[in-house]
Amino acid sequence: MTWKPEVEELRKREELGRAMGGPEKIKRQHDGGKLTVRERVTALLDGGSFHEIGVLAGKAEYEASGELRAITPANFVLGRGTIDGRTVVIAGDDFTVRGGANDGAIKQKLLTSEQMAFGLRLPLVRLVDGTGGGGSVKNIEIEGHTLLPGYEGHLWAYVSENLETVPVVTLALGSTAGLGAARVVAAHYSVMVKETSQMFVAGPPVVARVGEKLEKNELGGSHIHTRNGAVDDEAETEVEAFQRVRRFLSYLPSSVYDLPPRGPAADDPRRRDDWLIGAVPRDRRQVYKMRPIVEALVDQGSFFEMGRQWGRSVITGLARLTGWPVAVLASDPYHYGGAWTADASDKVTRFVDLAQVFHLPVVHLVDIPGFLIGLEAEKAGTIRHGMRAAAAIFQTTVPWCSVIVRKAFGVAGMVHQNASRYCMRAAWPSGDWGSLPIEGGVEAAYRAELDAAPDRAARLTEISERLNLLRSPFRSAERFMPEEIIDPRDTRPMLCAFADLAAPLRTPGKSRFGVRP
Amino acid sequence: MARITLKSEITGAVWKVTSAAGERLSAEDPLLILESMKMEIPVATPSAGTVRGLLVKEG
Repeated sequence: MTWKPEVEELRKREELGRAMGGPEKIKRQHDGGKLTVRERVTALLDGGSFHEIGVLAGKAEYEASGELRAITPANFVLGRGTIDGRTVVIAGDDFTVRGGANDGAIKQKLLTSEQMAFGLRLPLVRLVDGTGGGGSVKNIEIEGHTLLPGYEGHLWAYVSENLETVPVVTLALGSTAGLGAARVVAAHYSVMVKETSQMFVAGPPVVARVGEKLEKNELGGSHIHTRNGAVDDEAETEVEAFQRVRRFLSYLPSSVYDLPPRGPAADDPRRRDDWLIGAVPRDRRQVYKMRPIVEALVDQGSFFEMGRQWGRSVITGLARLTGWPVAVLASDPYHYGGAWTADASDKVTRFVDLAQVFHLPVVHLVDIPGFLIGLEAEKAGTIRHGMRAAAAIFQTTVPWCSVIVRKAFGVAGMVHQNASRYCMRAAWPSGDWGSLPIEGGVEAAYRAELDAAPDRAARLTEISERLNLLRSPFRSAERFMPEEIIDPRDTRPMLCAFADLAAPLRTPGKSRFGVRP
Repeated sequence: MARITLKSEITGAVWKVTSAAGERLSAEDPLLILESMKMEIPVATPSAGTVRGLLVKEG
């Protein structure tokens, strides 16, 4: 006598578990333009690599005879599988069962997903589609009591701990509210899908009670959260969102105890793009496009930008240099001339922390006229956000290379690298720096002289011209201020040399600080 | 014919209007130039079209 009957029952139960909320609910999910959680898992992972854990968990109904009549699977699918051959932990809400809400789940599965990623030192991918919090207020009646939020602390301890240990990627794939929204943003990288996903602290019915009548996309669509920095990016489709996840993870180690894996080194490290010599206009007031410069410097096609829609005076993304993954921070002169706003500063903080925690050498293409100035900027508390970014930069120990493409002014310019340790640095001949710009700085510093002058404007021009003569970057280089001035066309060879030098310096292990959402 | 809404991503003064009503523009052509942080920052059209009119003035 074998255990064959039990194995048959096991297969039957597994099948019931995979049926999700049934054909009707699955159809509704599809009609809403969304994939089911199981289709998502299949689409994201390498074919056939999913090993599910806990498919048997759910609410069962039994016949009087003790035979299983039906089972409603827990609405949380958990397991491990591979993405481009590397193992990850994947956890997805099943919206077809009770709208993905926590009252249809078994809490332990959610906790286990976080513990598993931590314990196995594997990246965690969360597919969030639901609220997943304390559940609906119906629970009050079912349980006979209300819930003191936070009476269980384990989950959030792991969510926080994971941010300093393993890559955490989340996708918002439907309406995510409350705890669901919290799980979306507590990540190193997050993506929303246009139109079919929303995120809010509380959804439209709850918001209506405070007098705001808004449809779900008006309240929490991707156009809101990818512009305020709550979520990094938006995708047109779920499939595109999955591609972004694969791409993001390809640059990162599986955990902080590992190093970012080298990719193919197909592009010539000595490639010199000729147009770079004219990339920066000679007229200081004219802007130029930074993204094509980034693309020209890194391995062809390797630049993966993140957070393009917010904090737009800085560009952040991952890339490769002779195959080595690096973090690229660059200024965008099209936005306030590259000046750091409060938002841009937050973006820098978040990005630099990511680089530090996962041992990614940083390349910084600098064109920073300073922090944004003016009343609006003061009201936004720019300086404190900026100094938070400065603190993050000065806490880094990862190898760092700065290329001063044009400006470096004031405090924001000052913190383009951690000046207390060796960082590689070179300036382009277009380099232009100072503690204060000459334009405006003259009026402040020479006020008495200007006030006394018979012709104020003429004197202003005269002083400015005198100072401008001293503005050449070569004069600063005489004092070893930029250590090097390079032909812009030599930048890629220099950066590739940096990446090669940096590779053996990368040190696995925990950073002395983590990443905060 | 569809209208295109173009929102400036930054706060700045209109420094120069470089297009005129009736003019045909290709994608990426500037409509006007803003001045912000002492820089001239073009505001370009995302797609080709004809300028119907300009609701802003320099200064």
